[in-house]
Amino acid sequence: MSQPREHLLRRRGPTSQLSRRQFLRASAGAALAVPTLSSILAACTKPGTEGPGGTGANGGTYPLARPDNPVTLPFHDDIPAIDDGLPIESGATLRIYNWSDYMYKKVINDFCDEFSVDYEWTTFNNMSEGIQKMSTGQVADVFIPTPDQLSKLAYGKLLQPLNHSYIPNLEANIWPVYQNPFYDQGWRYTVPYATYTTGIAYRRDVISDDEAEAQGYDMVWNPAYKGKVGIYDDTRESLGMAMLRAGVTDVNTTDEAIIQQAASDLAQLVDLVNVRLTINGVYAKLPDGVYDVHLAWAGDIIGAQWYLSDLDTPGETDVLGYWFPPDDRGLVNNDCITIPATAEHPVLAHAFLNFMLDEKHAFDNFTWNGYQPPLTSMDTDALIQAGLGEYAPNTGPGTVPPSLPRAVVTEAMFETGYFLLELAPEDELKWQTAWEEFQAGA
Amino acid sequence: MSDPATGTSRSRRETRRVQRASAKQQGAWYPRWFWPSFAVPAIVWQVVFFAASFYVILAVAFGTVDFFRNPLPVFQPWWWDFGTFTEQVSRIFGGAYQQVYLRTFAYVITASVFCLLIGYPIAYFVARYGGRRKGLFLGLLILPFWISYLMRMYAWQSLLETDGYVNDLLTFLHVLQAPFGWLEGHGITVVLGLVYGYLPYLILPLYGQLDRINQSQLEAGRDLGASPSRTFWRVTLPLSKPGILAGVIIITLPMFGDYYTNALLSQSPRTTMIGNLIDYTYVSPGLAAEGASLVLTVVVILILPMLWYLRYTSRAAAEK
Amino acid sequence: MSTVSTSAAPKRRRWNPLAWFKDPWRKPRILEGMTWLYLAWSVLPVVIAVIFSFNAGRSRSSWQGFSLKWWWQDPYDSLFQNPLLRPAIFQSFRLAILTTLFAVPIGTLFAIGLDRWRGRPATAANFSVLMAFVVPEIILGLALFLSFQNLVTFIPLGTVGQVIGLVTWQIAYAVIIVRARLLTIGMEYEEAAMDLGASPTRSIRRVLLPLLTPAMFASAAIVFADSIDDFVTVRYLSAGANTEPLSVKIYNAARASPTPAVNAAATFMLVATFTVITLGFFAYRFATRGQRKEGAVKEFISFEV
Repeated sequence: MSQPREHLLRRRGPTSQLSRRQFLRASAGAALAVPTLSSILAACTKPGTEGPGGTGANGGTYPLARPDNPVTLPFHDDIPAIDDGLPIESGATLRIYNWSDYMYKKVINDFCDEFSVDYEWTTFNNMSEGIQKMSTGQVADVFIPTPDQLSKLAYGKLLQPLNHSYIPNLEANIWPVYQNPFYDQGWRYTVPYATYTTGIAYRRDVISDDEAEAQGYDMVWNPAYKGKVGIYDDTRESLGMAMLRAGVTDVNTTDEAIIQQAASDLAQLVDLVNVRLTINGVYAKLPDGVYDVHLAWAGDIIGAQWYLSDLDTPGETDVLGYWFPPDDRGLVNNDCITIPATAEHPVLAHAFLNFMLDEKHAFDNFTWNGYQPPLTSMDTDALIQAGLGEYAPNTGPGTVPPSLPRAVVTEAMFETGYFLLELAPEDELKWQTAWEEFQAGA
Repeated sequence: MSDPATGTSRSRRETRRVQRASAKQQGAWYPRWFWPSFAVPAIVWQVVFFAASFYVILAVAFGTVDFFRNPLPVFQPWWWDFGTFTEQVSRIFGGAYQQVYLRTFAYVITASVFCLLIGYPIAYFVARYGGRRKGLFLGLLILPFWISYLMRMYAWQSLLETDGYVNDLLTFLHVLQAPFGWLEGHGITVVLGLVYGYLPYLILPLYGQLDRINQSQLEAGRDLGASPSRTFWRVTLPLSKPGILAGVIIITLPMFGDYYTNALLSQSPRTTMIGNLIDYTYVSPGLAAEGASLVLTVVVILILPMLWYLRYTSRAAAEK
Repeated sequence: MSTVSTSAAPKRRRWNPLAWFKDPWRKPRILEGMTWLYLAWSVLPVVIAVIFSFNAGRSRSSWQGFSLKWWWQDPYDSLFQNPLLRPAIFQSFRLAILTTLFAVPIGTLFAIGLDRWRGRPATAANFSVLMAFVVPEIILGLALFLSFQNLVTFIPLGTVGQVIGLVTWQIAYAVIIVRARLLTIGMEYEEAAMDLGASPTRSIRRVLLPLLTPAMFASAAIVFADSIDDFVTVRYLSAGANTEPLSVKIYNAARASPTPAVNAAATFMLVATFTVITLGFFAYRFATRGQRKEGAVKEFISFEV
């Protein structure tokens, strides 16, 4: 058994937390403020009868960002952006608050070397935990949320607006499709971190590429692979996949009938293929053959190459396959980097954002976690340089195994793809209910 | 003797002083607050963290939620809103959760029966025939207590993988024709896990009870002509009944809230237990009221056995 | 194991299985076999898991050679070097020590008070303490979580909350063990002390507590071992990834992508538990020298029964 490259050995240790993706979508109703004892004591009237409106900063609802309904997040007077031309705080410790195993430590170390600072790394298990901690005083300089939380975060005064004079790389290096994203018009609070698509990963020694192409999502429902099928233990992703298979294109639907139909489609899987719900089944189990078919994020299947037992022999990675709808009409999304309102070192944080948008460092990060940064300089065609039988994780050439052409995220996919986005809390409940009923195995 | 000025109070004081003096002479006088003060820290602790927590469960289950679906607990019973709770209950009877509850009952009862069938002979053996090796046996029986439940399940997880040792052994012995996917979501794996996990908790109370059975009673039965099996059925078994009941309660009740055995040994919706439903409401935001309602249903199911257990232990303590 | 012989003179014995089975005085081979089989079944999986923590490869089910890499050699993934696992080790110990420090005194005092005072509040509290044995842990965990979020919000989740949750759970062990010991002590010693002029407090301090020390050692060992292994309550009351002890990390990893480092973590917890129990046992033996009627092992263990 060969050893992977030293610095990449650390790629994914015993993932001690649930994958960051676990509750990506299920946390649209996350708390911004936790009710306190005083609010209970003060409640001389029955709670909930004081009128609508949550505990958002402006007391009202917030808009839900959609591609055809772009949202400009508000500025708050009490949270100004930092001034131009400030020096970087010296001797500081950069506090990063992120999912675990989602940022390459070597890249952070490079940053610290360049600016002569230190860093501290804190993780959260899921987005709702992350947001709750932030709202109750967790201090961080950099925070990595997903776009479906942004309205909540911005309206809840948890983020500070960015001063773009510190982040020249943003406009210089990022895909045009991101230049004015619908979830944060004008880049007021965020920069993009990593992009990904959701497709079906499969083992090419069990299912040929042609068969995969012919079946698409039906691979998951095929009883021929009974016992070797997995889907994510994730409400939105799995239900979303069932919806796309059924031809529904609005994956942020609030129509209860559609959601229930998706849940009953998934329920068929239990007896049909002995489906199992996993968190990291794609990179941890598929290379071992435990699964032949698995719902997958592109980054996961690219990262799966490091879990094969032989990392030096060319051609070992040919067993990994990834299917994405041929017309690029599948699930796409990205993560963002933000700066919390209470950041102690905002200038340093801005420098870090700029650093992560730099081509070299973003690419370094990608080689480690498999999730692509949306860089114009990154030639997506050049990610795959070898042909089948010629690529080995340790020696390359290229960074993506040749058997995974569809796992490479292109800009075009973001024009046609579907985002899983924010839902109002009562709509989120519909999804959660349907998912719970699916899980109940009825 | 009465004092003309203060009436009878002086005689009462006099009497008390005399009593106290004589008690002190006997050396057994404690101020009235003495012993209660020992118990006060624990009482306060239980009230604040045990009783109050359960009241919060009620307040959240019958409370309401704000816009973000955070729980807004309602502590005044006259404002309680039973909407969420009734909705959850309606899911149980004829709804989506019915399978889960039935399945949990089935798993728990099956596992408990197996635990009893396996555990009783062992407890019986160690109690009756342990002899000089009793200490050794006891030590080995107690060993699983000190091994984390998690580790024991985790160990089984690796053994039950399709290329694991269990399949190797069973195919070698020709019990199985081909490797069986134990971890692919089968109830039998979960029941096996439950039996393995909870068996030690049954054996020890059972052993304690069997150990206390007087040997002479058994011999008396034999002397009067009963065969060994008859002695067992007519003498030993009835005498061990309290131990059986106590042991079964100790393993059955916690099993109802078990979610981790299923999470580790099966990742399929086919084996979801009540505990998994509750766990989902914990990890997902905005489902606190639903979670509290489910907890209440479990408490309702378990309340009678729990009360019986408390009566049993208080009676047993009184007997000691 | 002799068959019934029809003649008076000794004959060659023939083993009659039916008679052997019916013999009321025979040694119980079947039961004994069952017991040993059970003990092996009980312990073997764990032994295998421990062995696999030294596996050279990533697999937990196929042996690929001996290696210490999952213990400390691997700079990122091993138990002692992984920046996410190492704090968990400290958190496990921190929680166990704090829990023991609180649960044993509270439980001991309560046992004493319960034994001497038969008041209603004490009996009620005793019931709720005993409930810890039968209430499913998820229920108490969720109840405490909601309580900390909504009622006693000045108590933060994290170490403080976790310790409180664990203590609520563990008081029961301390109470039961100390109470068992108290029942055998009786009040004569304190009364003798008070006859000799000691005040009530003094007699408790100088007479009763030293007599209870062995039980306190035993309960401390048991509470410590139980707290290290707990993962339901501490998971619900944790404040984030930093306050998760090793047991929760093992749980998360076992569901996600386990490697032999998790085996190493579990083995480490096992060794810690056994060490503490052994120390407690020896402390118990030392404290009860000259007082024991039975073997120390049996007495120590009989607390459980």
